[in-house]
Amino acid sequence: MGKVIGIDLGTTFSCVAVMEGGEPKVIPNAEGGRTTPSVVAMSKSGERLAGQVARRQAITNPDNTIFSIKRLMGRKFDEPSVEYDKKLLPFKITKAPNGDAKVAMGDKEYSPAEISAMILQKLKTDAEAYLGEKVTEAVITVPAYFNDSQRQATKDAGKIAGLEVLRIINEPTAASLAYGLDKKEEETIAVYDLGGGTFDISILELGEGTFQVKSTNGDTHLGGDDFDQRVMDWLCNEFKREQGIDLRQDKMALQRLKEAAEKAKCELSTVQQTEVNLPFITADASGPKHLSIMLTKAKLEQLVMDLVEKTIGPCKQALDDAEKTVSQIDEVVLVGGQTRMPLVQEKVKQFFGKEAHKGVNPDEVVAVGAAIQAGVLKGEVKDVLLLDVTPLTLGIETLGAVATPLIPRNTTIPTSKSQIFSTAADNQPSVEIHVLQGERPMAADNRTLGRFMLDGILPAPRGMPQIEVTFDIDANGILNVKAHDKGTGREQKITITASSGLSKEEVARMQREAEAHASEDTQRREEIEAKNSADTLAYTAEKTLREHKDKIPAELNQEVEGKIAAVRSALQGSDVAAIRQATQELNEAMQKIGAAIYQQQPPPPPPGGEAPPPEGEPPPEKGEDEGTVEGEFREV
Amino acid sequence: MNQEETEELNGEAEAETAALADAAQLKQALAEAQEKAEANLAGWQRAQADFVNYKRRAEREMKESREYAIGALVLNLLPVLDDFERALAAIPEEEAQMSWMEGIQAIERKLRATLEAQGVAQIKAVGEPFDPHVHEAVMQAPGEEGMVVEEVEKGYQLNDRVIRPAKVVVGRGDEE
Repeated sequence: MGKVIGIDLGTTFSCVAVMEGGEPKVIPNAEGGRTTPSVVAMSKSGERLAGQVARRQAITNPDNTIFSIKRLMGRKFDEPSVEYDKKLLPFKITKAPNGDAKVAMGDKEYSPAEISAMILQKLKTDAEAYLGEKVTEAVITVPAYFNDSQRQATKDAGKIAGLEVLRIINEPTAASLAYGLDKKEEETIAVYDLGGGTFDISILELGEGTFQVKSTNGDTHLGGDDFDQRVMDWLCNEFKREQGIDLRQDKMALQRLKEAAEKAKCELSTVQQTEVNLPFITADASGPKHLSIMLTKAKLEQLVMDLVEKTIGPCKQALDDAEKTVSQIDEVVLVGGQTRMPLVQEKVKQFFGKEAHKGVNPDEVVAVGAAIQAGVLKGEVKDVLLLDVTPLTLGIETLGAVATPLIPRNTTIPTSKSQIFSTAADNQPSVEIHVLQGERPMAADNRTLGRFMLDGILPAPRGMPQIEVTFDIDANGILNVKAHDKGTGREQKITITASSGLSKEEVARMQREAEAHASEDTQRREEIEAKNSADTLAYTAEKTLREHKDKIPAELNQEVEGKIAAVRSALQGSDVAAIRQATQELNEAMQKIGAAIYQQQPPPPPPGGEAPPPEGEPPPEKGEDEGTVEGEFREV
Repeated sequence: MNQEETEELNGEAEAETAALADAAQLKQALAEAQEKAEANLAGWQRAQADFVNYKRRAEREMKESREYAIGALVLNLLPVLDDFERALAAIPEEEAQMSWMEGIQAIERKLRATLEAQGVAQIKAVGEPFDPHVHEAVMQAPGEEGMVVEEVEKGYQLNDRVIRPAKVVVGRGDEE
C-alpha cells in the first residue's frame, strides 16, 4: 500500500508534500529545491526537460519551452483569456479539432493536460526517489474558480503521469486544512493568496467539516514580480541620478540588479534597512562605477503601497459576492511568498480586522494541505492514531532518596525502558521499588504511583546483584513496572492504571513547582551525590584494607583508617564542602595503597580467587556477615 | 400427536433458534474483531514501514547535510568572490604593476584556494556545449549554435552538486 502525495500544481511553481508519521512533509526535488518551476521543454536534441533545468534553457529555446500552462488548462482556443495569453506567451498556441487550446513543442502538438503531466511526472519521480517507494496516487489542488473542464483536464494530467487522482481540491481549502481549520465549527474563512504573478482572494464557508467556496476574486496579473520590478526601477533611477548612467541599457548590469532587488525586498521583511551593494556594476570613460544604495523598509513600502492597495478592491468584491460583511469573517489565511511582507500582513489585518494565520511556509501551505487531505483519504490521519506523550517523568527512588528517571517527560507512548540497579548494602536481601512521577530530583517531592518489594536476593556484596527494572507504558497510558533479579530469576511487578494518574491541573502544578524549585533541588541533589560517593569510597576503602591487610604497611593502614573515620564523621553532618574534602583526602590515601600493593605484586598471572562470580550464579557467601541493612537504604 | 409433544417440539425449536441467533451474533463479533485486527495490523505495518524508511532517509540526509552543510554559506560568499574578480579585471593599467596590487591579488587567490579545499569547484562554461543542468542561459548572441560564448557569472559546484549554475550567453548559430 503506497503513499498518497499532495501536489500544488501552480502556474509558475509546483510543490509536493506527503504525510509521514502523522505530519505533513514537503518533498525536496532532485536538485534540492522545495518548489519546482512549472516549466517543460523539448531540447534541440529532442530531450524532454522539466522543472529547474527546463527553466534554465528557456531563453535559448523559447519556441519549445512551455510555462504558465495552467492558464490554458481546460480552455477553448477562442476564449478571451486565451486570446489574451496568446499575446503574452512566447510559444505557439494552436487549436485542436474539438476547439481546445493546444501548444506546440518540438514538432508535435500537446494538450495542456499532457504538458502538466510532464510536470507531475517530474514531481512523482522525485517523490519516489525521496520516499524510496512507488507512488501511484495523489491529491491535486486547483484554483477555486476552476470549472469542470479545467478540473477534468487536471485529473487527466494526473492519469497521463501515472497517478490516480483520488481527489481534486481547491487551493484555498487546502490552505485552510494546513491550519487545521476543518476541526472548527461553522466558520467563514478568507484566503488571501498573493504569489509571484497572481492574486486570488476566496471566501469559504465551513460547515460539518466540509468547505464550500462562496466567492472568489483576484487579479491574474499582480504578484511579487511586480514588487521586484518597482524596486529595480527605483534603483535604476537612483543610480542615474547619482552617476548619470542608465543601467537599463546594460543587460549584464540589469541581470545583477534584478537579483539584488529581489534579495533586498526579502531582507526588508525582517530588517529595517539594507544596502544594495553591487561594486563594478558598470564603467565609463572615468573608470569603474559602483552601485551602493541604502534601501529602507519605509521606502520599499512607499514604492509598492499602491500594489498592496490594489488587492483590497477584489477583497471587497469577494465579500459582496459572498454576501458577507468583514465582521462575519472568522479566520484569515495567508498564502503565497509575497504575504511574508509585513506591509501586506498589516493591510490584510486592517481590512479584515483580525490577525491572519501564519506559521506554515506560505509557498508550501497549499501542498501541505493537499498532503493532509491525502492522509485523510488514506485513513492515516485518524484521531485514534494520534500518539500521546507522558506528561511527567517516571522513575524510581534510589540511594539517598533521589528520584532516578527512567522515562523522561514528553516521551511518545507506547514505550518501554529498562535499567540495571543494584543493592546499597552488603547482603541486602530485598529491594523496594518505589515508583515516582514528577520532575523534582528528590523522591519525596514527587508523587508516589506505587511501591513493591523484590525479596529473595542472595547475600552478596553491595553493588553485585543485578536487578533489572523495566517500565512499560502501553498506548492507553497503563504503566507496568517490573523488577527482575538476574541472579535468581525472581520477579515482582506492579500495574498502575491511567486512572491513578493526574489531572491536567495537577500536571501543570507539578511542572510549575519543578521550575520554581530548580536551584534548591540541584543543590540538594549535589549534596546527596557527594554523600553517596563518599559512602561508596569509605566502603571500598574498608574492603581493600580487609582484603590486603598483609600487603599494606601498618602506618599506611592507620592513615587510611583515620581518613575513613573522618569521612564517616563528615557524613553525619550535612556540610557538603567538608564531605568533599574528606572524600578527596581518603582518595589520595587510597592511591598510596594501590601503589604499595602493586610494588609487591609478583608478575602475572594474577590471583584468580578474587574474580567476581559469573552472572546468573549466586555470589559466594562470605563469612563476615555484617548483617543486613535493609530499610536504611530504600533502594536497589 | 398430543398437546405435550407439540409443546416439547416448540421448545426445541426455540432453543435452536436462540442457538442460531447466538451463533450469528458470535460470527458477527468475530468478523468485526477480525476486521479490526486487520486494520490494526495494517496501521502498525504502515507505521513500521514509515519508521524504517524514515530512519534510512534520516541517515542519508545526515550524511548529505554533513557534506553540503557549507553549501548555504558558500552560496552567500560567491557574490563576494564575483566582486573580487570584477575588481581585479578592472585594474587600471598604471596600477597593475604596483606591489600593493599584487598583495590584493594574493588575497583573492587565497579565498579561492580556501573554497576549493572545501570541495567547491568552478563549472566550465565558455567553449562548452550549453547544458541546462549546470548552465543558465541569460541571453543569446551571435556565435556557434548551442555553445556557451560568454560567461556572465561563474557557476560553482560543491562535491558534484551544482550550488549555482553558471549564467551564460549561448550562441544563436549566426556569425557576427
